[in-house]
Amino acid sequence: MLNIVKKTALAGALILSAGAALAQYPEKPIEVIVGYSAGGGTDVMARTAAPFIEKYLGEGASLVVKNMPGASGQIGVTEAANADPDGYTLGTFNLPGMMARTIDREADYDRDSFTYLANVVNDPNVIVTSKKSGLDTLDKLIAEATENPLAITVGMSSLGGDDHFALIKLQNATETEFTIVPFKGSAPARTALLGGHVAMGILNISEVAEFQDQLNVLGVATNERSEFAPDLPTFKEQGLDLVNGSMRGFIAPAGLPEDVQGKLIDAFTQMANDQEFLDAMAATANPVEVVTGEEFKALTSDLYDLAKDVWDTTPWN
Amino acid sequence: MYSDLLHALPDVFSLANFAAVVIGVISGIVVGAMPGLSATMAISVLVPFTFGLEPLVALGLMAGIYNGAMYGGAIPAVLLRIPGTPAAVATTFDGYPMAQKGEGGFALQVAVVSSAFGGIASAFALMLLAPPLSKVTLLFGPSEVFWVAIFGLASIIFLLGGNPVKGLISACFGVFVSVVGSDPIYGNDRFTFGQLEMLDGINIVILLVGLYALPPVIDLLETPLKTSGVQSSKLGTEPIWKALPRMKTYWTTWLRGSFIGIWIGILPGAGGSMAAFMSYNEARRTSKTPETWGEGEPEGVAAAEVANNADTASALIPALTLGIPGTAVAAVMLGGLLVHGLQPGPMLFRDNPDIVFGFMWQFLFGAILLIILGGSLATNSFARLLNLPRPLLGSVIIVLMLIGVYSIHGRMFDVYLMLGFGAVGWVMDRLKFPLPPVVLGLILGGFAEENLRLALRIGRGDPMVLFQNTTSLILVALTVAVIVGPSLKKRFIDKKKVDDDAAG
Repeated sequence: MLNIVKKTALAGALILSAGAALAQYPEKPIEVIVGYSAGGGTDVMARTAAPFIEKYLGEGASLVVKNMPGASGQIGVTEAANADPDGYTLGTFNLPGMMARTIDREADYDRDSFTYLANVVNDPNVIVTSKKSGLDTLDKLIAEATENPLAITVGMSSLGGDDHFALIKLQNATETEFTIVPFKGSAPARTALLGGHVAMGILNISEVAEFQDQLNVLGVATNERSEFAPDLPTFKEQGLDLVNGSMRGFIAPAGLPEDVQGKLIDAFTQMANDQEFLDAMAATANPVEVVTGEEFKALTSDLYDLAKDVWDTTPWN
Repeated sequence: MYSDLLHALPDVFSLANFAAVVIGVISGIVVGAMPGLSATMAISVLVPFTFGLEPLVALGLMAGIYNGAMYGGAIPAVLLRIPGTPAAVATTFDGYPMAQKGEGGFALQVAVVSSAFGGIASAFALMLLAPPLSKVTLLFGPSEVFWVAIFGLASIIFLLGGNPVKGLISACFGVFVSVVGSDPIYGNDRFTFGQLEMLDGINIVILLVGLYALPPVIDLLETPLKTSGVQSSKLGTEPIWKALPRMKTYWTTWLRGSFIGIWIGILPGAGGSMAAFMSYNEARRTSKTPETWGEGEPEGVAAAEVANNADTASALIPALTLGIPGTAVAAVMLGGLLVHGLQPGPMLFRDNPDIVFGFMWQFLFGAILLIILGGSLATNSFARLLNLPRPLLGSVIIVLMLIGVYSIHGRMFDVYLMLGFGAVGWVMDRLKFPLPPVVLGLILGGFAEENLRLALRIGRGDPMVLFQNTTSLILVALTVAVIVGPSLKKRFIDKKKVDDDAAG
């Protein structure tokens, strides 16, 4: 008996929500699933962006950030991929990590599981060396690596992350080999660099911005100089074609209704030009580079192909 | 270096932060006074509830509870000869005889003043030693951290007292639990049985709540509703300011006990109970009237209580500077810091000076508040707590445990995991296996594995990298000393005894 009541209620609710989707989106709070704990880089991005998305969606839209940490973000992104594609569940998305997870382990999602909304942050990689190593220019570093393969130890935050891909690109471009020392996160890697326990490190610019006196920062992996460190030359300026970074953005489950998708992408595009938003992101050391919709999807695909290539030649586990 | 210390002071006095310390001290005394409930348990039940609080409010609560519980344990120790916490065992030696003589009130006053003295000394030690130590921790690379972890494991196994074999088994269980989850280097799944929830490994708070809270709660539920109560007649009710002049001869005992407690706190593995025993023995050895000890000598209460509070703040010195907790309580507190995104280690002092130094001040004020809250106001009321029906208390705690663990990630899986660890903990408790090595095995085992592998990568597979610098070699020597020391000492003492017998 109770079951029948439940079922009727459920059916009623479904009809109601279907009706809601037909009416003006959004009709109820939108949940944003963050795959990391509160206070981390991805969480800060989501919470900083939320009020601006609300503003540009208009009509009293409200975004609720829900943290589902665990398994390097895999738990959260899986939840978002498998949610109803009604526009009321969004998720954060990290590149190349989320794609690398589909390669190095079994994941319940792939690159076609998502509607790509917008990538918001692009935190470029930097190469740093410890003061103790004496390798204070890129030329010295490459010369040493060429002369003594595997002699230089490289601290980074994990295998299969953006730092790792940057190193692979460096190795391929310069035909050198390094010894990888994957710490558990970038903070311990940076501490080991400060103490001179590893010679070189690949980190992100937001992580070394405050440490430029205590480490040699050799260059940044962007096309143009970063506003966080305008004096820091790019690798391209130094004759090395190396562009790489850690990206964070927003996705929804695949199969989002087109009008909903359009509205959301519009909101993200408008947010990208909002000076107040840009200031808020700069204050939290998040370099903004907004890429929306199809372009974001293509970017993800490129990164997947790169990761797959790397995996096929040099699997990291 | 110390200017940050003063800068953090105003925040500590904001209403919420100060109230947190006050509430912490009071609840700490209550928890300590209930036999079976310990500071570790109270703080681990509390941690999940602090997610939503400001960091200093959460830390203030913890600092208060820690200080309060270390004194609270003296109340049943004196009045019923039941140590409220393991650290209060030495307090029963002279506290209970004093209560029998009708001096229970004075014994508790001695306990509270001594506890506060120890706590204040310990807080100063933390304030003075931690900032300079945080500067040298950059010297600790993977191979050094590996040895610190091994040293910590060795000391908890061999110095805890009791049976080292049982300690070793407990520690191995902890190390095994640390292996569950993603491999720290390659990310392969280990012992996860395909459960996404296990990929990150076992959360320390879940293990702690299960292991430390469930067994005592089961004990509480098993106690008869009416237990031996406390009559006011055992308490002499003299105001504390009249009692203070009688304590003026305890200065040397207090200083010695503080020194011992601080030192034991810094060493990984040992803890409050060992500090209290050492301080008690030293004080008795140097006393002019050793024959009165054990018969109700107030100085004995002072010696035990000053030392078990003096290890509180100092236990956090290695935890805050290196990120390596030396005791179970320090481990829980680190868990509390991590909940708020505060990564212990040298960067903590650089990035969040107001919080880390504010925390130190809270320890100091917690200790000072102990005199006011524990001493003059409420000794009588706290003593009456012992008349509370224990099963009632047990059922309240079990509800808090379930809600708390569920709220960490919002999933039932963690609750089942906690209950599972609780069952293991209960069995271990009954079989007299020590619990602290499990906790430190989980934490230090993880540290040891990860850093060993990083060190070997840095050395490109050559194990000699582990012995290449002075810091590592010192740590190796300390580890060997901890392992060989107790058995050598035993042999030496036995031999001496035999010699004495032969001579006699």
